[in-house]
Amino acid sequence: MELELKQLRDRCIADLSAVTELKSLDNVRIKYLGKKGELTIALKGMGKLSNEERPVIGKLANEIREEIESNIMAQKQLLEQQEIEAQIKEERIDVSLPGQKHQAGNLHPLTTIINDLKEIFLGMGFSIAEGPEIEWAKYNFDYLNVPQDHSARDLQDTFYYQDDIVLRTQTSPVQVRVMEEQQPPLRIISPGRVYRFDEIDATHSPVFHQMEGLVIDKGITMSDLKGTLDLFAKKLFGEQTKTKFRPHQFYFTEPSAEMDVTCFKCGGVGCKVCSNTGWIEILGCGMVHPNVLRFCGIDPDEYSGFAFGMGLDRITMIKYGINDLRLLFENDLRFLAQFK
Amino acid sequence: MLVSLNWLKEFVDIKMAPFDFGEALTMSGTKVETLTVVSENVVNIFTGQITKIEAHPNADKLTVCTVDMGTDQRVIVTAAKNVFEGAIVPVAIDGAVIANGTKIGTNDFRGLLSYGMFCSIEELGMNTDLFSKEIMEGILILPENTPLGMDARELLWLDDVIIDVELTANRSDCQSIVGIAREAAATLDLPMAEVPVYDATAESADEIADYLAVRIEDSACPRYVAKMLKVKKIEDSPLWMQKKLLNSGVRPINNIVDVTNYVMLELGQPLHAFDYHSLKSQEIVVTTTADKKMVTLDDKEREIDESMLMITNGKAPVAIAGVMGGENSEITDKTSLIVLESANFNKGSVRLTAKQLGLRTEASSRFEKGVDPELAAVAALRATQLLLDIGACDVIEGMIDVYPQVTELKKVALDVNWFNAFVGISLTVEEVSSMLTRLFFTVKKISDAVLEVEVPSYRMDIALKEDLAEEVVRIFGYDRIPGTIMGGETMVGGKTPVQKFEDSLKNILVGQGYYETLTSSFTSEKRLHGLNTQLEDNLIPLINPLGEENSIMRHTLVGHQLEVISLNYNRKNPAGRFFELSNTYRKNTKPGELPIEAKKLAISAYGSGDYFKLKGVVELLLTHSGINDPEFVAGGSDFLHPGRKAEIFVAGVKLGEIGEIHPMVVKHYELPKRCYVCQLSFDELFECATLDNKFTDLPKFPASNRDLAILIKDEIPAAAIAAIIRKNSGEILESIELFDVYTGAQIPAGYKSLAYALNFRHHERTLTDNDINPVIDQILGELKQAFDAQLRE
Ligand SMILES: [Zn+2]
Repeated sequence: MELELKQLRDRCIADLSAVTELKSLDNVRIKYLGKKGELTIALKGMGKLSNEERPVIGKLANEIREEIESNIMAQKQLLEQQEIEAQIKEERIDVSLPGQKHQAGNLHPLTTIINDLKEIFLGMGFSIAEGPEIEWAKYNFDYLNVPQDHSARDLQDTFYYQDDIVLRTQTSPVQVRVMEEQQPPLRIISPGRVYRFDEIDATHSPVFHQMEGLVIDKGITMSDLKGTLDLFAKKLFGEQTKTKFRPHQFYFTEPSAEMDVTCFKCGGVGCKVCSNTGWIEILGCGMVHPNVLRFCGIDPDEYSGFAFGMGLDRITMIKYGINDLRLLFENDLRFLAQFK
Repeated sequence: MLVSLNWLKEFVDIKMAPFDFGEALTMSGTKVETLTVVSENVVNIFTGQITKIEAHPNADKLTVCTVDMGTDQRVIVTAAKNVFEGAIVPVAIDGAVIANGTKIGTNDFRGLLSYGMFCSIEELGMNTDLFSKEIMEGILILPENTPLGMDARELLWLDDVIIDVELTANRSDCQSIVGIAREAAATLDLPMAEVPVYDATAESADEIADYLAVRIEDSACPRYVAKMLKVKKIEDSPLWMQKKLLNSGVRPINNIVDVTNYVMLELGQPLHAFDYHSLKSQEIVVTTTADKKMVTLDDKEREIDESMLMITNGKAPVAIAGVMGGENSEITDKTSLIVLESANFNKGSVRLTAKQLGLRTEASSRFEKGVDPELAAVAALRATQLLLDIGACDVIEGMIDVYPQVTELKKVALDVNWFNAFVGISLTVEEVSSMLTRLFFTVKKISDAVLEVEVPSYRMDIALKEDLAEEVVRIFGYDRIPGTIMGGETMVGGKTPVQKFEDSLKNILVGQGYYETLTSSFTSEKRLHGLNTQLEDNLIPLINPLGEENSIMRHTLVGHQLEVISLNYNRKNPAGRFFELSNTYRKNTKPGELPIEAKKLAISAYGSGDYFKLKGVVELLLTHSGINDPEFVAGGSDFLHPGRKAEIFVAGVKLGEIGEIHPMVVKHYELPKRCYVCQLSFDELFECATLDNKFTDLPKFPASNRDLAILIKDEIPAAAIAAIIRKNSGEILESIELFDVYTGAQIPAGYKSLAYALNFRHHERTLTDNDINPVIDQILGELKQAFDAQLRE
């Protein structure tokens, strides 16, 4: 009996090692360990054994069952591993083949610049104000302290819808509207479309974009104007950027200035971008004129403030090195797709 | 404006390098655009007198000149025809360089050596535009009294630096050498020389009265000064005067005209000289007239009208006030008596006249910006002095000065404490006072911190304490003001919900492969006609458009999107997807209000995808906006394909429309055969949007799925089926998806099969067939009743 069992075990192990597929493994298990399996049948013959022999053979039978099971398990693991290896080998791909095409579009470069500027000023506590593009002449001129006989009011400079309604020539009327409607303190920027009677060419367009900013509070100084705009320039053009404020004149502000920044291309030594001056003119600014404050019902003896304005199309062209303004309005995909 | 640095130096002793001087001027408010040396290259050109001219033995076209250079004699062979014995000319000697950089040496001309070359104005590097063709083409002949052996660089001011300054509109007082000199003196803190003027105090007023009287009949002329002189000889003005005119960009004419121009350049006061006898009258009247035409100095006939201020002889115009003189009273070689007009005209009046005539002159552009009336008498006396100095005239005693309302000097108080607080610096009263004094203000301290500042008449731009603050600060230096971070209340700022919504829509479209476009706000009737659409009567036409194609403010973005597609298609870009979120404009029916500006979102595509692709993107935007049940109803504008267009509604509100472009429109815009466009009203979309997301518990009970294939007539819209399914399912319908649309052999012609996957779920229990079967029966029942629809097995 003992010999019989050992032979059975050896046969089983030999069968197992011959198995090459996982699904055949169960056949071996059934053949030996199943209800009608060889081991089961062999054990049925145990009734014929003596009382001395029975525990010994019983123990051996159990050992053989365990041995077979552990062999099955081992073979299973081996086969599973082989199968995975085969699968891996089978499924190899050329990872250098191109990926599936997913094309994102992108924002217009002007929008991206506007977003950059908004980001900078929102971080300084500004809000974004909007106002009509078709505007009362008085908001576009009179309330901004533009003299009655100024040529900016001419039909050769400004588009008119009616005698008293114009296409705004600047975003400044938004500031007037905000000052009329809200009490200081105020910190706003107003980006938007503006219009001037210019034929389109490489640097002019009858439709263009500006962003103006306005700060009104008690005790706002020219120092604050310089500090704020210097910070803005550094955030837009980089930490190393320096600013230069030159006296200038605007009707809306007094004193007024123009701000130049060191050329971001050459760092100030002079290049084509800055016409060899090392500086690029970026914006106009100044302390809000007391007449303007008074027009808007703000007492200039109590409050002061500053305002600034810049041409967004120009800044977009400078930042991206675009040499012709018309490209911005043409919308050729080969242009648009360059600003991911 | 062009400013000669050499001329400026006659008033202010500027020692610094031209570039540094330019920087200093810019930083004090007079923006220097460029600094240009008149003739950078020229060296070793000296004056010489031709003492003898002989024929060249071997060449007909050449002559041999003996030239006295002051220190030596030399032979110059020349082809020039305008030289003569006794002429003084610029001679480029051995080693000289002329304007274009060419080096001059000793050359053999057909067997004779020429020890240099005579120079033309071009070779000297002078502005050829300012000379007659005759002078330009020959050798420059210098005045008889020119010293010999003089360096032409110095003599002709070829070494002068021309400063191009950009003046701001408020600084009309800077439109002159003296004006810039005042700025230079203040900026550099240097003294300034005075302008020598004729002293008329001892004159008898009677003499001029025998000849002339002046009457002003219009308030647009605040002052009229006239001085009369007897002409000794009309000739060229002296070289020293000519070179100043030349370096200011003004062409020398003759001694009388040159003096009027000289004084205009020097002081900023336009002058005009009349030929007294041609006036044919003993009076000058400043008035408007009914005349229709007059011929101006430039020999052009001008159409004039009664809105324009004229200088008349009491009967007919003799000059257009402040713009240009008349040909009828022009100075000629025969002129023996002149009337020198030094008048002041209102800027508005001159501006309108010049604009109407399309005639902008040095005089009118100065008047347009504003000229100080006080200047009129000074300029007349300065011109008198110069005419005497150069021996052109003798004086007729007396001066006419009609000046009805003498301007009073303004006084403005400046509180230095306020000033310091306003600017953010701390200057002493003395410092502020000294800077104002440098700028020629008269300053009086009226209390501890308050200055009373008297403003010179020419500073018409100064009226308020803020104006004075700028004056002080620009002399102090803008660059010396520290930069500070704003104090005051902390402000939160940030974007509004609608601004954030706008950004989010754009981001989705970008993520879906769409490119943002930027198009103009203008359109036109012609451009709109291409849209196959009747023009609405609520458009916004402009009074003064830039051409027909820009004559209307757009009320739709579609036209521009199609133009973008057309451009890209015609440039062989195979496919494109675009969007733009922009304003559209239309008339406001409410009187007294501005036109209506409505933001619209246009999305367009060509070259790939179809109607459903675009619709999918629109649905994505709507889902993002919290809109889950939009209705797409067949119909829409005429620019869309009649069989492929839909209007989009949400809860009865029309949001916009979507469709394929009509074949007619395709043809008109030169579009690819298939393109698609959607336009949504942004404002209404935002109204309909639900943007606050809320969490709902995850479902605890399983869903039941049912598939239904419905056989139905082709013309029934799928939306109608879905509506019936939704209506009959009630709240337990979690989702519905149309996963197959079939037409073909397996089903009867004129029919289609729509396969829906329905997902049912209850939040409190598991649904059974007993729950769902009645619902399905109800759905099928209504579909059968409404559309004779069958369940397809
Ligand atoms: Zn540069």
